[in-house]
Amino acid sequence: MSSSSVEDIPDQCKDLFTQDGVLLKSCSGCSINELNSIGMLCIVRNPDGTKCIEWRPNDLITIDSDTQDQEWAVVNTIGRRQRTLSGNMTSDYATARARIIKIPLDDLKTFRVSRNNQQMQFSTKHGVWQMILYFQHGNAEIFLANLKTHVKTAKSRHERNAYVVVESNTEAQVLNKSFAELDIFTENPTDVVWGFVSNLRQRPYATTMEAFSKLTDIVYNGNEAMNDKRDMSEEVADLLTKSISAMEDTTTTTKSDEYEVISVKPTLPPRPCIPRGTPLSTEKWEGLQDTEGRVAEVDGVKQLIFRGGVAHSIRHAVWKYLLDYYPWNMGHSEIKNLQRRKTEEYFSMKLQWRSMTEGQESRFSEYRDRKSLVEKDVNRTDRTHPFFTGDNNPNLVVLQDILMTYVMYNFDLGYVQGMSDILAPILLLLGNEVDSFWCFAGFMDRIAPNFDMDQAGMKQQLLHLQQLLTFASPELAHHLAQKDSGNMYFCFRWLLVWFKREFSHRDIMRLWEVLWTGLPCANFHLLICVAILDAEKDILISKDYGFTEILKHVNDLSMRLDVDKILSAAEGIYHQIVSAQHLTDQIRVIIGLPTVGTTSQTEGDDDSGDESPTGSQSEAASHSRSESTSHLRSEATTVNGNGTENNDQRVLFTPEMDEVTLEYNGLQISIVTKTVWALLA
Amino acid sequence: MAKTYDYLFKLLLIGDSGVGKTSILFRFSEDAFNISFISTIGIDFKIRTIDLDGKKVKLQIWDTAGQERFRTITTAYYRGSMGIMLVYDVTNEKSFENIKNWIRNIEENASADVEKMILGNKCDLDAKRQVSKERGEQLAIEYQIKFVETSAKDSLNVEYAFYTLARDIKAKMEKKQEASNPPGARSGAHQLRANEQQRKPTSWLSRCSVL
Ligand SMILES: Nc1nc2c(ncn2[C@@H]2O[C@H](COP(=O)(O)OP(=O)(O)OP(=O)(O)O)[C@@H](O)[C@H]2O)c(=O)[nH]1
Ligand SMILES: [Mg+2]
Repeated sequence: MSSSSVEDIPDQCKDLFTQDGVLLKSCSGCSINELNSIGMLCIVRNPDGTKCIEWRPNDLITIDSDTQDQEWAVVNTIGRRQRTLSGNMTSDYATARARIIKIPLDDLKTFRVSRNNQQMQFSTKHGVWQMILYFQHGNAEIFLANLKTHVKTAKSRHERNAYVVVESNTEAQVLNKSFAELDIFTENPTDVVWGFVSNLRQRPYATTMEAFSKLTDIVYNGNEAMNDKRDMSEEVADLLTKSISAMEDTTTTTKSDEYEVISVKPTLPPRPCIPRGTPLSTEKWEGLQDTEGRVAEVDGVKQLIFRGGVAHSIRHAVWKYLLDYYPWNMGHSEIKNLQRRKTEEYFSMKLQWRSMTEGQESRFSEYRDRKSLVEKDVNRTDRTHPFFTGDNNPNLVVLQDILMTYVMYNFDLGYVQGMSDILAPILLLLGNEVDSFWCFAGFMDRIAPNFDMDQAGMKQQLLHLQQLLTFASPELAHHLAQKDSGNMYFCFRWLLVWFKREFSHRDIMRLWEVLWTGLPCANFHLLICVAILDAEKDILISKDYGFTEILKHVNDLSMRLDVDKILSAAEGIYHQIVSAQHLTDQIRVIIGLPTVGTTSQTEGDDDSGDESPTGSQSEAASHSRSESTSHLRSEATTVNGNGTENNDQRVLFTPEMDEVTLEYNGLQISIVTKTVWALLA
Repeated sequence: MAKTYDYLFKLLLIGDSGVGKTSILFRFSEDAFNISFISTIGIDFKIRTIDLDGKKVKLQIWDTAGQERFRTITTAYYRGSMGIMLVYDVTNEKSFENIKNWIRNIEENASADVEKMILGNKCDLDAKRQVSKERGEQLAIEYQIKFVETSAKDSLNVEYAFYTLARDIKAKMEKKQEASNPPGARSGAHQLRANEQQRKPTSWLSRCSVL
């Protein structure tokens, strides 16, 4: 246990929370040498029971031969020493100690979160920011949540994302007040709360469970009469999540001293093994078209493609429909007209940049920059494939021309790296410049947010992925969060170019055409990620891979993945999720199901003061919601037709749901209240 | 388990898209060059262990995507870097001008005392050159950072650059260790900074580039 070595330190301070990789940007009264250094941010309990925020510089680098085998153990920091080493270290510990920056929580007046949740400012005096910290990796959310368990705060009325410390509270006081507000207990709340607190010390699990069950009855089980009192105060929520996290530890280690709490975590239903189908064949495709070439059974065609993809011989035809170049209901003659129009449109856009003179170009730096980016990437796109290989390959010119014309088609977006990867397989298949352009444009319409200037689209997807993984593979999500990888950045490449770099040409065509159907749910590509990661779960966890190894392992999966296996697993995971008893609105929104409003964590919990991401996120969420309703409608028919699912039924049952789902560090922890009662009985 | 190295250094390659970061890394880690390399999406790293004054130094070298809009993601990986190679392309003026922005980016996202080095890559392409070696040197003096022109293609100065950066990190680290361990030392890190100030970057320019 680490706590025993803490006792060796003369001060006997206890770290209640630590976060690495925090840059000290400014601090009044501290040595200039420390500014812009990286350190560890902690919440510390002093021997006298008071608490403070500490920032410790990270730069006492030394060789620690005992822990040689761990990749990063070689870089040893003060914080680490304090926890792991003993003996002959007190003198440099004292030296280091003098460089630590402290803000006692009793003195803390205000703090503010800004810059995409990555920066925090602290003030102990009105109008002056004492210390500014930059969270280099991830963000301040977890620290903020933790800090809020130690001080009572209110949102500032004057400043966005700022919090005023109301009082540096003991937990009991917070509980006392909040429980009183909740009006749960018929007895005198003060007595109950004190009883709770003292019980908590002696019998933590039973007490916590008991309190939950009472609280949750009111907060979560739809007690109508209580509606106006339902806004459970932040502090209670934090306390609950904190206790839950303590309890969660015991549930993962199977047994606590007092109870066997195995059934506490709701599990997903078993994963159905759904075999892949055969590709849409020429005969079937022709059979689905009427004499004019119109396709009426669009849903049916999409179902077939979702199941088995498209036979290669008809891909060049079918992709044009899947990518919204040809409307499904258009006959041969109309399509001829459409083609003519689109061809003219394409060449007029192409002419725009082709007719640019050298002089014009020299005065148009934005255009020049884009052109040079395109050139660089065209030379580096799939050059090992015979279609693009060789020095003066004419196909490279076509690739370049389409991308440049796309710049004129969508100048706001322009050219972003990754687009050449998206275009290459399309051009390779279709060969024709105009058709490839319009199919590419159709694909881009779906994934344009990936290329946003501010990367909001990517960040949102990474967040959604994290949330889906937390639901579908909680142990892995927990492991990743512990290894500083909860932001899922290591999946960036997968999402940006829809796995283009992870599969062979043959396989990427299969994966893409399946994903283009939009079945079986919105954001199915995120479930592909979940399926790939879930298959690697045992390795990642059992080898205790850290930040670095996780990235390497994931990068190295490239070209070693089995597309059919992954599609099948992802579909299985989809069914697990939608039939889970504890399905939350948060997950519903991501996969495009209508929300049912029984759980509270979808909105509400984001009190972290995040500026732009929150804004764009809820915007996008509502967008995807409206988008998905229509999608759902078409799906509902097929689903009900199969007789496998019935969403309406689930909606009816949900208010009776006897689980509580809370979010902790981005992890969802659900507790079955009935189980709790059974345990307590 | 047998000890496979004495030190582990995390290094980072940054610079505009297409300046040759991946090619430099490929040259250093595999001793090869591939004209049709793919652009970097996201981030990756390679490992090479080198021998430095009798010590085995494992270099973990991170390669990032150069395009500006990916920076919010790539900067997350700056954490813990001990050395950074700032790369520009001598045939591309813009990539040279952007070095200043990259330095600002480092200041915001990496530890203040990270060792830095500027590389002017593709110096084999003399006919297309837009940035003279003198301008590179001038910039390096301005920022007090070491500088060398390289060619990943012709394998020129790539080894030299990594060895130099690694040696500097090692020296700094050993100094810090000394500074933090002398008997009865007070405020070791501050002394260290004072020492560093004296090490003015004048002598190294002469032995820097052999072009
Ligand atoms: N002549 C010459 N060409 C080079 C050299 N280094 C790289 N290149 C070429 O420059 C192009 C870009 O090189 P990359 O290594 O992919 O560039 P990068 O900096 O990694 O680019 P991003 O991954 O987009 O950030 C490739 O076509 C390389 O072949 C060099 O030293 N000499
Ligand atoms: Mg690269």
